[in-house]
Amino acid sequence: MLKLLRLEWKKNRMASYFKGLIICIVGILVAVVLMAVGSGDEQMFQDYTDFMSLTNILIRIVFIIFSSVILSRLVIDEYKNKTVQLLFTYPLKRKKVMLAKLSLVFGFCFFSIIIATLTINIAVYFLNPMMSLFETPVKIQGMIATIPSTFINTFMMAGVSLIPLYFGMRKKSTASTITSAVLIGFLINATVGDTSASLFQFIIVPIIMCLLGLMIGYLSYYKVDKVDLT
Amino acid sequence: METVIQIHQLSKSFKGVETVSKVNMNVKKGEIYGFLGPNGAGKTTIMKMILNLVKPTSGEIKILNQPISTTSYQYLSKIGSIIEYPEFYERLTAKENLELHCDYIGVYEKGAVEEALDIVGLKGVEHKKIHEFSLGMKQRLGIARAIVTKPEILILDEPINGLDPIGIKDIRELLILLKEEHGITILISSHIVSEVESIADTIGILHHGELLKEVRMEDIRKENMEYLEIKIDDVKKTIHVLENKLGIRKYEIVNQHCIRIFEHDISQSQINKELILNNIAVNGIEKQQQHLEGYFLNLINGGNQFA
Repeated sequence: MLKLLRLEWKKNRMASYFKGLIICIVGILVAVVLMAVGSGDEQMFQDYTDFMSLTNILIRIVFIIFSSVILSRLVIDEYKNKTVQLLFTYPLKRKKVMLAKLSLVFGFCFFSIIIATLTINIAVYFLNPMMSLFETPVKIQGMIATIPSTFINTFMMAGVSLIPLYFGMRKKSTASTITSAVLIGFLINATVGDTSASLFQFIIVPIIMCLLGLMIGYLSYYKVDKVDLT
Repeated sequence: METVIQIHQLSKSFKGVETVSKVNMNVKKGEIYGFLGPNGAGKTTIMKMILNLVKPTSGEIKILNQPISTTSYQYLSKIGSIIEYPEFYERLTAKENLELHCDYIGVYEKGAVEEALDIVGLKGVEHKKIHEFSLGMKQRLGIARAIVTKPEILILDEPINGLDPIGIKDIRELLILLKEEHGITILISSHIVSEVESIADTIGILHHGELLKEVRMEDIRKENMEYLEIKIDDVKKTIHVLENKLGIRKYEIVNQHCIRIFEHDISQSQINKELILNNIAVNGIEKQQQHLEGYFLNLINGGNQFA
């Protein structure tokens, strides 16, 4: 299994995506910091929670789309370019091959969101005293308290990141994979503010979406031995 | 001789349409088995079923005496293949593609990649990305990929498509070399009859998903392949002479001035003499060899009449 992961990693030059990851994190950070600083006297964010709610939404949208790019590269492209025909003539259990691919997508989504959240938190901790992004100073305990929920939310997003697989596999199209990811990303993170909550805050919605994603992943894993490659 | 690929009553339907029906075939160890058939005859489908890319509707396939199930995969390490158009990871270089291939199969032999590239004449371009390759180069690289791990069985679907005449000659020689020196069993498909004829030991003729015939090339060469072609001015009169005076039954009328005789026990001079005695002007009489192409076309057309 490790070998398969390593080969997928090498084959798709996954290391090159780290540059993209860093650019995304910096981009999100700059965007929220500029919003906070630019809002001037009438402060946009009251406190840390307020600030992070927007940041988290941005992180989730960005990385669900990013993951769909990886997904289309790892799975959809392989079918589209028919290299899967080659891949399946290797003496490997096809289910394992599929599992390796899907775990990479899931893992990428999970870790990139965790890394992004962590980096931005650390940056905020040091930047806030200097730039006063929000009024109430942030305490380290307050940050640590968000860790469990961050992990749970991230896990759910990683599950959601597999949903585009369904749309992409229907026509083996990269475009529809990414489009569906954009739509899903915006749909469940759509609204921000005091009165209206985003879909993501109703805990049941992300849970269902996550299960749906995992199920889609499982189905393509389950079917891989049965489907004809024509 | 040991049978490497055994296929028994193999059928495959796609959405109710049968593309392969009740095929039986046996490929023996160390031979080149040529698969002939027009486009859409089911050659690729059978090859894909051997590689487990397509699952049979019914029937059985045995590779090296192991029956293949939908989840079998271990036997694939013994097979090198090109199916249809050879696909590569376009963003990687030729060498990286081959190395990745070896990695996946689990063969780590030093110099194997270089050797394979050398054999197909792609030395010097191994660091080029695949998307810069022409069709012929991809085809060569596909063959390199199929042989790099030194498999026991090679499955090549139209391997000479898109190759130049020199390339075709190179590949032909390479296949014979692989067979003779390494004892590799080769299953090769093509719709170019002359190509198969020149290298195959056994041919299987496939039409509309059915295996019309499985014969050894030697037998084809022996059986009915030689014939006499006579050019005359009056076909009707000639037939009369042939049938009544010489007792020849196996003949074919090509056109109004040409007849082919397939019987061997009557000599050329005897026929000639008899025709002249009967006042038929003989413009030419010649011994000829029927090529596999004619045999193939005859079979396919014969098949059409029953269809």
